[in-house]
Amino acid sequence: MIFEKVKAVLVEELTLGEDEITMESNFEELGIDSLDLVELVMKLEEEFDITIEESEELKTIKDVVEYISSAKEA
Amino acid sequence: MENRICQLLGIKYPVFQGAMAWVSDGKLAAAVSEAGGLGIIAGGNAEGEIIRKEIQEAKKLTEKPFGVNIMLLSPHKEEVIKVVLEEKVACVTTGAGNPGKYIEAFHEAGIKVIPVVPSVALAKKMERLGADAVIAEGNEAGGHIGKLSTMVLLPQVSDAVSIPVIGAGGIADHRGVDAAFTLGAEGVQLGTYFIPAEECRAHENYKNLVLEASDIDVTVTGRFTGHPVQVLRNKLTRKLDALEKSGGSMEEFEALGRGSLYQSVILGDLEKGSFMSGQIAGLVTRKGTCSELIEALLTDSRYISYK
Repeated sequence: MIFEKVKAVLVEELTLGEDEITMESNFEELGIDSLDLVELVMKLEEEFDITIEESEELKTIKDVVEYISSAKEA
Repeated sequence: MENRICQLLGIKYPVFQGAMAWVSDGKLAAAVSEAGGLGIIAGGNAEGEIIRKEIQEAKKLTEKPFGVNIMLLSPHKEEVIKVVLEEKVACVTTGAGNPGKYIEAFHEAGIKVIPVVPSVALAKKMERLGADAVIAEGNEAGGHIGKLSTMVLLPQVSDAVSIPVIGAGGIADHRGVDAAFTLGAEGVQLGTYFIPAEECRAHENYKNLVLEASDIDVTVTGRFTGHPVQVLRNKLTRKLDALEKSGGSMEEFEALGRGSLYQSVILGDLEKGSFMSGQIAGLVTRKGTCSELIEALLTDSRYISYK
């Protein structure tokens, strides 16, 4: 499941607790800044073998999960 | 010396003059380029047509390549990008964000793209998107700063990418230049070092403040805003600090800072101005033309031979 994998990446990369991450969490609340986000996007691209477009405005975990699922279908 | 940066840009010395909002105009950029380095006009928050004038001014003063820095948080960035594409400058550097989506357009116009990167991940990403080089700028730099110091950031970025890396932040003499090269840089960028230059428009008070600064006269304001700025201490920074301590709002903070660059660079107002400066100001003691400054910088370098 995409959410679980995204969560695993966040936990590993940013030492967040699993219980902190829900679909509704937004990056700002999680203390993830723009630099963390760049790193995160790179890891997600590797993990899911996709390319995340520059123009994407990813603000919440839900945005990320939805983006990945549509990219996987394409 | 012929290294990858010199070849990429067609310049004699791999020395960039860092973009400083209000300070680095067409005249300063042209003088640095004439001296064999790469002058860079600061886009800052300026409107497109203002930058066009500066580009045209620089073109009158030099036939050598120069660059424009695009500040990606600027409300006028789209206009500035359009102007840069039309004027076809040699290269752009970018700051305060991710220039990924513009790289292709710059390349189509024959413009080299050199983003400033504050982390390894962004450096890798820029390389993948086709950046020609990256500037690893540590938080010794003046103005808006990132999280990591040059000593820490530069070798890691150098290891992470195969495109050339320019080291920036904390350099003001040949030892700094050589240290950056030892850490993997193939070029250096200096800002504060050029503030006292003869061709620099900064107010005499600004130049003297830099020249007379001691090692501990540089401070960081606005950490709580998420956009910390490195400046020389003065009445304004003390007011900003007090406001931060008393739990002032973002709006109050911004109101104090508004117009403060115009007040420092143009009016030389020692109380209200924001005198942005790198941490290395204490080592900057030399006046002279850009050509003399570059000669002084490189004469004893082990990596770059000055001819």
